[in-house]
Amino acid sequence: MAAKFKQLPEELQLATSAHVKYIQSLDTRKDEYDYWLTEHLRLNGLYWGLTALHLLGHPEALPRTETIDFVLSCQHESGGFGAAPGHDAHMLSTVSAVQILAMVDAFDELESRGKGKAQVGKYIANLQNRQTGTFAGDEWGEEDTRFLYGAFNALSLLGLLHLVDVDKAVDHIAACANFDGGYGVSPGAESHAGQIFTCVAALTIAGRQDLVDKERLGRWLSERQIAGGGLNGRPEKKEDVCYSWWVLSSLEMIGKTHWIDKDQLIAFILRCQDPERGGISDRPGDMVDVWHTVFGLAGLSLLQYPGLQPVDEVYCMPKSTIARVLGR
Amino acid sequence: MADQGGSQHGIARSSRVRTEEQRLRDLEKIRKYRELEDQVRSRVSQRDYSPETFQLTSKLLRFNPEYYTIWNVRRRCLISGSFSKPSAGSSCSKGSSSFSPSDTTTTSSGSYSSSSSTATPPNPASQTVGKSGITADPDAPATDDTKQDLDLIRSELGFTIPLLLQSPKCYWIWSYRLWILRQAIERLPVATARRIWEEELGLASKMLGRDRRNFHAWGYRRHVVEQLESSSLQGSSLVEAGFEYTESMIKSDLSNFSAWHSRSKLIPRLLDERAADGTARRAFLDKELDKIREAINVGPEDQSLWYYHQFLVLSLVGHDRDQTFIPELSLQDRVGYLKHEIEEIKDLLEDYQDIKLIYEGLFEYTIYVCQLEGRRPNASEQADLAAWLAKLKELDPMRNGRWTDLERDLAATAG
Repeated sequence: MAAKFKQLPEELQLATSAHVKYIQSLDTRKDEYDYWLTEHLRLNGLYWGLTALHLLGHPEALPRTETIDFVLSCQHESGGFGAAPGHDAHMLSTVSAVQILAMVDAFDELESRGKGKAQVGKYIANLQNRQTGTFAGDEWGEEDTRFLYGAFNALSLLGLLHLVDVDKAVDHIAACANFDGGYGVSPGAESHAGQIFTCVAALTIAGRQDLVDKERLGRWLSERQIAGGGLNGRPEKKEDVCYSWWVLSSLEMIGKTHWIDKDQLIAFILRCQDPERGGISDRPGDMVDVWHTVFGLAGLSLLQYPGLQPVDEVYCMPKSTIARVLGR
Repeated sequence: MADQGGSQHGIARSSRVRTEEQRLRDLEKIRKYRELEDQVRSRVSQRDYSPETFQLTSKLLRFNPEYYTIWNVRRRCLISGSFSKPSAGSSCSKGSSSFSPSDTTTTSSGSYSSSSSTATPPNPASQTVGKSGITADPDAPATDDTKQDLDLIRSELGFTIPLLLQSPKCYWIWSYRLWILRQAIERLPVATARRIWEEELGLASKMLGRDRRNFHAWGYRRHVVEQLESSSLQGSSLVEAGFEYTESMIKSDLSNFSAWHSRSKLIPRLLDERAADGTARRAFLDKELDKIREAINVGPEDQSLWYYHQFLVLSLVGHDRDQTFIPELSLQDRVGYLKHEIEEIKDLLEDYQDIKLIYEGLFEYTIYVCQLEGRRPNASEQADLAAWLAKLKELDPMRNGRWTDLERDLAATAG
């Protein structure tokens, strides 16, 4: 594949150093209004940026100590993490915190300088709805399979999955399944690629992939690729780089990645980069952001684009991190 | 992972370099925004959930509805000050006169955007009043507390409307609105709470009118219906109305997978509630098949339509109660139905030779016939299947890996 992509025009080569610089610049944009409007995503953004750097082979491009300091400064007494200091604790930022600490190998620091793993586990476990098995995002009660996956992701990294009722959660996911093999945000909701990723990944973590109708789901997922090579998230919708991750990782988990045209998807993702200033956008020619940058890169990594570190399809983190943390 | 808030969808890249003038304008916006944010934060750090703090959250959320912590501050303002206490007892909250609900508070679902919560400061006085006169009797006269809560709830619902119209995919606004609606159940007489929830169907329709595929709005509608059906709102089934709603959505636009999906979810319940017998179920299936076939005749390249057709066909293939809404059909009937569908699809080939979904349907349904009859494809079926696969490979090379797998499976069944 490497040889083949060298033959592509220059703008379709991966602009690795531009992407690294783009990610490094993200925290220096304090004179941009958007920087302040997106503070509620700061910890998620750090996870996206750091994962992108790891996949690009530049894990040291963000300073480790400052990264850990920032993550720990977001932690509350409850054990949960907010998006930034002064923001309330939430499942989404808590999961990002755990993922970041896992990537920089700093669970020890969570123990010595933070509130400790056990407290984080307790915070997450308390968000499970013990009747239905699903999870809320925070104390105010919004429920979504995104939060269930987040809980499984973080708890399994911490080795604390036993704190929650895994069987109940699995039952809940099964109740979200649809006739087309996909999964929705809650029982009754239509299949959506993002939600399929969360449900299939959670089932994979729970060791219950036997519940997935792989033929039917694989068919639905493969039909997400449309003319131009990009993937959409639902039937009759536009393509978007972030679905290069949600759809592709789900296909990978059920062993059906070969059901789409990989080369066309690679070319689509590469057309979405800004080769000069770095970063990847949703569609060619649009404004880049760190969200589409990481999911574009993670997609390329799953597609074995040359020069990228392998990504874990369940955790959206480097395979090397998952191997170290889970000891496999 | 997290939601997509804050990411750039569909904004052209050309705007990436700013002029000095733009930069200065940004700096001024940042200054104003941060000043407001600092004010809220310093009040929160002193646990000040007063009407003034509440007003500041209105301002800040209009700048940035994604700021979830500020929605939480707003909730805390309401709980610790403005709402009466949700428990039965004497109505002694006369001190609530300082509470001045917005004079533009809406009383009907028609005027969503006219209400403004900045004019609705919470009332710290009621915090000390204790027991309120909330009662479950819908006919009981409204107490001051009830009225206060009702006004506040309506005002909050009004506050989120312009924000939702502006950011229809913002999870936090939808979730705040549902929290307010839950307060209605907890704090208002059932009949009053029910009226408020009923009006939410209007909002869901309005949002789906603007974007027929918005899955937040579909999910919201589903949740509202569930609540309206539940005992906490003295509800009963709305399945017929829900089915009619999908009908009207489909009528205005055949290519709405969300509506077809919703329909597929309602059918089993609909038939159960109609106490439909085998004949009625069969008639229902015939009607649905006619309907979707007619649609496919017009738009055979539309995936949404084929997915619904697949749903109907799967109810012929499955035979457990949870897989089908027509369990009464005999094996022979089911095979008959399938064969009929296959013939109908073959007819499509006269008008459309290059639509891959047609060949995929033929291939899949023929395999189902063999599965139902518990046999391998016969020689003529084998030939058909191989020809359709060849066509699929030709028309849809993107999914060649799948066609190759199907080819391999077919060869295995041919033995």
